[in-house]
Amino acid sequence: MKYALTFTLNGGEVDVLVKPTDTLLDVLREKINIVSAKRGCDSGDCGTCTVLLDGKPVRSCLTIAMTVAGRDVKTVESLSSTDGELHALQRAFHEHGATQCGFCTPGMLMSAKALLDMNSKPTRDEVVDAISGNLCRCGAYYEIIEAIEAVVNSE
Amino acid sequence: MLKYVGKQIPRYEGIGHVTGRTTYVDDITLPGMLYTKVLRSPVHKGVIRRLDVSPAENTHGVAAVAVAKDIPGQNAVWAADQPVLVERNIRYKGECIAAVAAVDEDTAMEAVERIKLDIEEQTPVFDPIEAMKPDAPKVRPEGNLWQFNSGDHRVLRKGNVEKGFSESDTVVEKTILNKMNDHAPMEPHVSVAYVDESDRLKIHTVSQAFHFHLGQLCAIFNLAANRVCMVGGTVGGGFGGKNEIHCDHIAGLLALKTRKPVKYRMTRKEDMLYSTKRGAFVFDYKCGVKKNGRLMACKVRAIHDVGAYQTLGEYAIQKQCLYITGPYVCPNVWYDGYAVYTNKPVASSMRGFNIINVTHASEIMMNLMAEAIGMDPWEIRFINAWRDGDTGPTMWKVTAAGLIETMQKAAEVGGIELPAHLMAMSSRGR
Amino acid sequence: MNSARYFAPKGIEEALKIRAEHGETATVLAGGTDLVPKINYYDLKPAVLLYIGGIGLDYVREEQGVLRVGAGTTWAGLISSSLVTAKASVLSSAARQGGCVATRNAGTIGGNVVNASPAADLATPLLVMDTELLLESEAGKRTVAVRDFFTGPGETVLRGDEILVEMSVPRVTGKTVFIKLGRRKAMTLSVVNVAVRLDMDGRTCKEARIALGSMGPTPMRCTKAEEMLNGTALDEALIRECAVQAIAESRPIDDQRATAWYRKSVGEALLARALAQAAGKDS
Repeated sequence: MKYALTFTLNGGEVDVLVKPTDTLLDVLREKINIVSAKRGCDSGDCGTCTVLLDGKPVRSCLTIAMTVAGRDVKTVESLSSTDGELHALQRAFHEHGATQCGFCTPGMLMSAKALLDMNSKPTRDEVVDAISGNLCRCGAYYEIIEAIEAVVNSE
Repeated sequence: MLKYVGKQIPRYEGIGHVTGRTTYVDDITLPGMLYTKVLRSPVHKGVIRRLDVSPAENTHGVAAVAVAKDIPGQNAVWAADQPVLVERNIRYKGECIAAVAAVDEDTAMEAVERIKLDIEEQTPVFDPIEAMKPDAPKVRPEGNLWQFNSGDHRVLRKGNVEKGFSESDTVVEKTILNKMNDHAPMEPHVSVAYVDESDRLKIHTVSQAFHFHLGQLCAIFNLAANRVCMVGGTVGGGFGGKNEIHCDHIAGLLALKTRKPVKYRMTRKEDMLYSTKRGAFVFDYKCGVKKNGRLMACKVRAIHDVGAYQTLGEYAIQKQCLYITGPYVCPNVWYDGYAVYTNKPVASSMRGFNIINVTHASEIMMNLMAEAIGMDPWEIRFINAWRDGDTGPTMWKVTAAGLIETMQKAAEVGGIELPAHLMAMSSRGR
Repeated sequence: MNSARYFAPKGIEEALKIRAEHGETATVLAGGTDLVPKINYYDLKPAVLLYIGGIGLDYVREEQGVLRVGAGTTWAGLISSSLVTAKASVLSSAARQGGCVATRNAGTIGGNVVNASPAADLATPLLVMDTELLLESEAGKRTVAVRDFFTGPGETVLRGDEILVEMSVPRVTGKTVFIKLGRRKAMTLSVVNVAVRLDMDGRTCKEARIALGSMGPTPMRCTKAEEMLNGTALDEALIRECAVQAIAESRPIDDQRATAWYRKSVGEALLARALAQAAGKDS
């Protein structure tokens, strides 16, 4: 049985039909074609599916889509402006070599964005804590932390 | 003036990565695309007595079910004796037996669960040492030891180890175990295949090695190379795990059968349990050293646990020969390398492919020898580090050696003050 | 999977009605951090998904000295609540060390308790705080002490028609300490976790509570060890003896994360450390 689901995605309204067992990740990737949120594990362990729900980072692979009704979802597409200008975090990741294969990058950026929205001057420990749920098997952690700190220090 | 050398240049695909626009294979959705779930062996070893896929075929929403007899060409991947889909003999838990293409994954999974499978279970062997015994259960009919042209193990001899041991002041022995590792790239294995408008099989692949795989795939599909087109190069991490075909063959098979686009995506659990691994190793190292720190002899028995099929397991043993003693000169070397079958997932390449293993072992031995003769662990390494002109275990001449300078720099960066005589050493000569 | 039904009631009464109607076939969904992986991997195929995120269980309040924590309070909610920090800091301390930001934003204290993993990080803090659990059904309400709630790994006394709605923490005093050891610092199940509460009067311990996680089939209290300390002057030697006794009461197993002998060794050391900290004898 399918249910109607309406929610806000990156500032626009979305209307889809979903199964109760569909996750937000399923809906993003397979119904709305927002594929920036990745499916790395489907068990909440890797962080590649991280999106913002009402401004807070969550695992979209663990979020039952129906529970998102009427709420606000943001993916990495929401970071750049409508004319394509990159967010400071995106620019910093790019310039500091914080992306290698790029698969963890959208999730990392959303975790970093949420951190800076909540705390514009985090300590290094707070930066590390904020991304501690995002795995990077290419091993770009050092550059990722550097990139985030570069944004913190520039503002 | 150098425009790019020595500068930090942002990678050209970086913008795609940070905007989420980089397209990975799982990001591809095509009209009418089908999704795949596979039936995997629930047992480690056995013989399939009955396989009835008709309940899956008759499930609403299922487009096709593929089994061994549906393979147009050779039912072989990775190794010549390893099937794409098992017809009869199961060699490891998780081996693919059938593949279902359906309108969505839930339907495909439902269909897989309806397949009737009867297996006569047999006794598996997991421990490579046990597998080497003559009465061990046979993983393959030819026996559990891979045959090199030198017999059941690869032989390497340099100098005379027994003479080397007799000239040593101390001999140290150790058994060193390395476990199986998984690459666990952030992107699990996945493939999207379809027959295009020119009747070519197009495969969107995560392969790290198109040219290795094209030939294998052509043999499986019985298609000429100009009828198979692999599209890829955007990989969410591979580290050697995507050097073997994991999904392209099954997605391709179902695409040929259904004439529709087919996606086959491995779950993280499947990827972690059943994809190729860094194989486990058992090393028996015996090293002889003089009081002055000079390494005199190194005798090694290496056992590579290659799992249920031998793909690059033999290659691992051959390649390992280059670095048995690490980057240290040793006049007398004896190496016996075995590739042993067990009823476990298949060993193949992974970052530092088996060189990591002998490096790990030889560094442990350097520390143990240093301890045994009461020498500083830096010093013993400086003394034995390759210089230009030294010969490696396979008699190749070392050129452009650099360990000494690397250690000197590492010590400096690490805030460690090395004695002057070590800081004065050079890779250019002894 | 294709025929599941979904309910998102707006109040407890409505939720209980649906629960009663569907019984065991209704899978209660809160944060989903334990449940949804099972759904994703087809280990659980719910016929009915009953979402209780909207029935008003996300609260922390104090009534006549009793701290009432709604079962729908998230780990993040426990951390940010000034009431929890003031009255039951051991809970926020434990919450800080579990999962990561994203899972803490979704996972609930009720979910952690009902999932009843032997390693449940929020269970040991609840145990040392003498917490009572409020269970509701259409048939009525009942209160169960948290120490009586767990019956085995993943098993509790919660009935098929009940929903855990609230934890009430009575007015308890004393210094609490929670220590978790995992194989890494985030996103990891406990190898061992320890929680203690010592109500001290100078150097004398008036009342002790000791709880161990991942050391038996359920999160557990170590009552014999507690008795050793009740009404006694504490010194390093007694603390060590008490830790030994507590470990003797535990029944850890070998599993993927650690062996039993390791858990006993490290558990004893961590417990002694926690007791020393709670007694004000930081070493």
